[in-house]
Amino acid sequence: MARRHFPDMLLGLAPILMLIALWQVIVWSGTAPVALLPSPFSVFARFSAQLLRPEFHHEIAATLMRLFAGFAIAVVLGVSIGLAAAVKPVVDAVVKPLVRILAPVPKVALYPALLLTLGFDHASKISLVAADALFPILLATYYGASMVEQKLIWSAMAAGTPRAQIIWKIVLPASLPSILTGCRIGLVISSIVVFLAEMITSTDGLGHMLVQAARTFQTVDMFVPLITISLLGLILNAALHLLRRYLLKGFAEI
Amino acid sequence: MIAVENVSHRFETSGRQSHLALDDITLEITDGAFVSILGPSGCGKSTLLYIIGGFVKPTGGVARVQGRAITGPGPDRGPVFQEFALFPWKTVLGNVMYGPRQQRIPRAEAEVQVRRLIDMVGLKGYENFYPKELSGGMKQRVAIARTLAYNPSVLLMDEPFGALDAHTRTRLQNDLLNIWERDRKTVLFVTHAVDEAVFLSDKVIVMTRSPGRIKTIIDIDLPRPRKRAELLLDARYQNYVVAIERLIDDTGIDEAAR
Amino acid sequence: MMWLSRLLTPLAPLLACIGLLCVWQAASLALDTGSFPTALEALRAIPDILGDRGSLINILASLRRMAIGLALAVLIAIPLGLLMGRSRNVAAFFNPLLMVIYPVPKAALMPVIMLWLGVGDVSKTLVIFLGVSLPIIYHSFQGARAVEEKMLWSGAAMGMSASRRMLRIVLPAALPEILTGCRTGLVLALITMITSEMIARQSGAGNILFNAMDMAQYDTVFAMILIVGAMGIILDAAFERLRAMLVRWSDAGRAIPLSYS
Ligand SMILES: Nc1ncnc2c1ncn2[C@@H]1O[C@H](COP(=O)(O)OP(=O)(O)OP(=O)(O)O)[C@@H](O)[C@H]1O
Ligand SMILES: [Mg+2]
Repeated sequence: MARRHFPDMLLGLAPILMLIALWQVIVWSGTAPVALLPSPFSVFARFSAQLLRPEFHHEIAATLMRLFAGFAIAVVLGVSIGLAAAVKPVVDAVVKPLVRILAPVPKVALYPALLLTLGFDHASKISLVAADALFPILLATYYGASMVEQKLIWSAMAAGTPRAQIIWKIVLPASLPSILTGCRIGLVISSIVVFLAEMITSTDGLGHMLVQAARTFQTVDMFVPLITISLLGLILNAALHLLRRYLLKGFAEI
Repeated sequence: MIAVENVSHRFETSGRQSHLALDDITLEITDGAFVSILGPSGCGKSTLLYIIGGFVKPTGGVARVQGRAITGPGPDRGPVFQEFALFPWKTVLGNVMYGPRQQRIPRAEAEVQVRRLIDMVGLKGYENFYPKELSGGMKQRVAIARTLAYNPSVLLMDEPFGALDAHTRTRLQNDLLNIWERDRKTVLFVTHAVDEAVFLSDKVIVMTRSPGRIKTIIDIDLPRPRKRAELLLDARYQNYVVAIERLIDDTGIDEAAR
Repeated sequence: MMWLSRLLTPLAPLLACIGLLCVWQAASLALDTGSFPTALEALRAIPDILGDRGSLINILASLRRMAIGLALAVLIAIPLGLLMGRSRNVAAFFNPLLMVIYPVPKAALMPVIMLWLGVGDVSKTLVIFLGVSLPIIYHSFQGARAVEEKMLWSGAAMGMSASRRMLRIVLPAALPEILTGCRTGLVLALITMITSEMIARQSGAGNILFNAMDMAQYDTVFAMILIVGAMGIILDAAFERLRAMLVRWSDAGRAIPLSYS
């Protein structure tokens, strides 16, 4: 398997390298002033220099803390509401119309309201992240749980599983592939939203770094947080992929 | 004893029509009997099994076990489904362990029994495989082992050997007969194979084309323990098979003539 | 019971709306802080915003940029996604690049793009285009990849050229998936629009929101939230109507809204 993917990987690196090369050529050709477009080398040099500075670690930690807190809330709420709605018609009757209304609402628009009610500290940002990541996870859980094969549930009931435990012992594991797909989307959304919230109002975090650099026209410093969030996204996605592979060993396609 | 009294079942289908799957079924199955159900596809065999399993509530009539009306599934009646229905997130061992663990049998004790069962269905060495890594026939055997593991007194088997090759099928028929002769479980066995039904059963129930009614119940009066090699040469066995096959053919003609 | 549920089902979203507004009303009355107006106060402020020529033009300009960005994205993303779906090499070529771009908030590029292209329409439209393209590419890719090989074979046997097969077989077969991507893209376009306006603070709905907040006009803030929320719901519902009409033959009507920007 790994061997077959190798040429694919090279092919995939090509456009990224080409883009960086093009960037460098534009800088060399002098069509764009360095103040507007710094060279990729200076950006990567600044990025590596930043990696050694504790202040930068602090910014990353602040961003990650909000990201994980919001994402975790979204997972807990999304999975439990999704499961409850899928198995209990009463819950479904209440949740379905609410989701219909709330899912297409642009959650960023709620941010001012969150700021006004929860203050300018962590709570408002974490709530925004949670609100945005919630719906994809909830919907994926709901669909996964409503698709669970009836005979799996029957088999468990016949083996003596009490009704109340069916949801944990059967419905949850059976809908895990779908739930994890929802989590993957939710995680990307979380990383995007936390950055945006920090850009709009914040005193620390990667988003704040970007805004700070933009205010002082430090173009090199503007690229650093962007690269960082992209890398963080890749790393988190890869971690989730590993978790998925581990949890879904028994399921057909991953 | 299982008693099915005037049971009918009507499915609400899409388009606000309804479909009568079972029509006024009445039968009694004594404890320890081996009963097969034969009938054309779609005649309601699975539905009847689900009703006795307590998974489906009949729209008319009542089904009882030991005199009490069936209100839901219970570990006294173990189903083996046509579609295997293995838990994809559990290994073979995990699937078969599920029932005993639900009965709160200590892990170590359960594992000994379970490994013996897995060995019996010929899957020794596959304990740590996931269902997706097994062939159809192997999955079917895991499903049988999973149900046998919690030792139900009634087995409700829906075409359990349908997905097996002829060789494994013969072996598992013998194994099932051995288990049955040893433990005297009540077995309700749905199949399409007439020879299988005659070989295994005390009674064969033949159902009509949909809506499913009982056409005839035939007592199979053959000596036990049954040896396949002897039986195949036995004229009585051959007569049963031919007679039942003719009955099932008739069921088709009946329908066409109407 | 039956007639009751038949009556309630189409009304459920409306009831949900009213329920949410009631909860809001109760919460703001209970908290009773100056910065959290009641639902009624917010609703009363809506006509003022929509009646004001300046804000109305502002909001309409936002919507126009959004439409252009979305249209451009559709034109470029669908063909790219379909090609990726039918060619392993094209997919291998673009996938990692998309993976790298995926977690970058497109609206966060606003300050960088503003440096290059100014704060005008071009920057904002470009950001919307970037934000919307990804899910459309992704869904077109998935849709094209799932097209049955046999259908293409029979097309080839009938003498269809490769490009005709793409247009006549792959495109229609992938249409349900593509439209799912477009629906996601639509909601996303709205989100990117608002966010980039919040960051650029120049004009548009996002700007009105934060200006009102700076000036402590909290009624206006919450009224604007209601307007933006309603835009999301209306656009989504309208597109869902359209989608259902276009792909009546398909039952794959479930979209998981990927609301990121
Ligand atoms: N959930 C359901 N909804 C509506 N109709 C159903 C449902 N399940 C079964 N039926 C109908 O009930 C009838 C009996 O179905 P059942 O599955 O019991 O047949 P069967 O005898 O087991 O067939 P087979 O031998 O093919 O397994 C069929 O006509 C089928 O169409
Ligand atoms: Mg059946």
